Amino acid sequence: MERLHPRVRFVWLSVVLLLAVVAGAVSAVAQYRFTGDWWVGVAVAVVVAGVGATYTVLRYRAWRFEVQADALFIERGVLTRITTVAPFVRVQHVDSQRGPIARLAGLAEVVVYTAGSRGADVSIPGLTPDRATALRERLRELAIESESEDAV
Amino acid sequence: MKLHPLSVPYRAASRVVSVAAVAVVGGGVLGDAANLSTPLGAVGLAVLGIAAVVGWEVAYHRRFDYELTADTLDITSGVLSLRHREIPLRRIQNVDIRRTAVQRVLGIAAARFETAGGSETEASLEFVAAAEAKRLQREVQRRKAGATDETGAADPTPEPERTIFELADEDLLALSLVTVDFRAVPVLAVVVPLIASRVPVDPLARALFGVTVVGAVLSLLGLWATSAAVTFVRYFGFRLSTVGEDLRYERGLLQRYDGSIPREKVQTLVVRENVAMRRLGFAALAVETAGYSPGQSPGGGSSVAVPFARREAVLELARSIEPFPDLPFERPPKRARRRYAVRYALLVLALTGVAAALDAFVGHTGLWYAPLALLPLAPVAAHYRWLSLGYALGEDYLVARSGFWRRRTTVVPYYRLQTVVQRASVFQRRLGLATVVADTAGSLSLADSDASAADVDVTTADRLRVEFHRRMQASRRARRTRAAGD
Repeated sequence: MERLHPRVRFVWLSVVLLLAVVAGAVSAVAQYRFTGDWWVGVAVAVVVAGVGATYTVLRYRAWRFEVQADALFIERGVLTRITTVAPFVRVQHVDSQRGPIARLAGLAEVVVYTAGSRGADVSIPGLTPDRATALRERLRELAIESESEDAV
Repeated sequence: MKLHPLSVPYRAASRVVSVAAVAVVGGGVLGDAANLSTPLGAVGLAVLGIAAVVGWEVAYHRRFDYELTADTLDITSGVLSLRHREIPLRRIQNVDIRRTAVQRVLGIAAARFETAGGSETEASLEFVAAAEAKRLQREVQRRKAGATDETGAADPTPEPERTIFELADEDLLALSLVTVDFRAVPVLAVVVPLIASRVPVDPLARALFGVTVVGAVLSLLGLWATSAAVTFVRYFGFRLSTVGEDLRYERGLLQRYDGSIPREKVQTLVVRENVAMRRLGFAALAVETAGYSPGQSPGGGSSVAVPFARREAVLELARSIEPFPDLPFERPPKRARRRYAVRYALLVLALTGVAAALDAFVGHTGLWYAPLALLPLAPVAAHYRWLSLGYALGEDYLVARSGFWRRRTTVVPYYRLQTVVQRASVFQRRLGLATVVADTAGSLSLADSDASAADVDVTTADRLRVEFHRRMQASRRARRTRAAGD
């Protein structure tokens, strides 16, 4: 079983902090308009950041994946634990993506598309660019090897 | 070849009508600005507009030309800029024929060519003679079959069409009565206020309570009647037949639909029975396809194969498409009922909360706790939900069942499985349960439409996940060797 790169926690955490700041600012403005105080905003930001940070840590711990003999195996999820088995024969195409924050952290994401209704769900974040490229190439080879003409 | 000559007046008239509808709505606003209050100006403008539309449509007809060659459909079209297209026949998955009531009187039809990509209609001929549309549909199917033939020689005799199901009149009536089609809701939203505004209400009856009750009853009756009418019109004259490897169906009273379902695109079969149908021993069959499915918005989805028939007949027909065996269903462990009971109880409590809030803000009826009477029903409902759940692993098929009010039995051939997803929420993990979802390419519609073994024991779920994947691989290999052996 392979784990994600530890730095992905900082990517997730920065999203959480951004959310905390926005939520805090909105609450602070709302409270300021009605009472002239703004401490609720700080409280909201602290709570959101705290919950989010805990969630991020748990999320990182839960995440693992493995390139098996004939399928990509992914296990993840904090509240709902999700296990996905995506057979290589069903792979339509493989992408690697790099979001703005992930780029700052020097990380990339591999997305595997299948014809299924939850196709885009199969994505692996938090890989080093080299690992992402290698994984993408490996998945692509495996998909071709397993004769993907009957992908539907 | 040219479009039917009657398509010129028909297209022109329908365009004028739609423009006029916009003009009537917009007229009130624009009337003052354009200062067209004089009748002469308005009439003149209308005549000019109609002349322009008719001219355009005549030009469209003159420039439009189509030709069915041995392996392509060539279309030349366009009034201002000429566009020439060649569509390879093997890319055309289905020729869909639609005829509205007016078009049927005129003897014309719209033929639409759908491709397997399914994102949009590839080409449409508006309009050709009904017989010509039928000919195109048959020819495309025949030439496609000829093109896939290795020998290259197209079979000159068209495949015989064999009717496998016809909806009897009494079944259509029964279907209309037991189906509640929520597509009727928007119709109702227009009709009910219209009726309501005509009814004089005396001051006493204006009491909120009375109006609400009468309104609710009327709405329900109206909804039922409207949906019965909608269903009746939709499935009038329903007929399913096989042509070679395709399933073809026809339906509709006012607008006639005629389309086909390629058998190799069938992903899953769904047998649907609501509680009334189950009591009477009836069922419906839907076929989920990947890519385009006729009569539906493109992009995949389910199309009705049998809207209503005796359960045995439905199962027999389903087995003629996919020969799945009759297997005993495995139920989730009994402790799963606790989840449902708690969920329903919470729902009742939430309802009570809403009632209490309404009571506090609107009127003091003192009856806010009335919904609590539903609380004892929660375990009963949970039990029935549990009774409906089940899954069975056949040799080549996974069969899954769910739903008490609307029961769905989904049949999935293993070689159609895409990804296998196992999920366990916090509440499921507390009881040691998990759900295994077998995802297929057809089910784009709703999240719960996937075949799944819901709330099974965690060790069973682990086993099922591995088993689904293994059987998918095995059955795919078996199909390949069989295909190679032919």
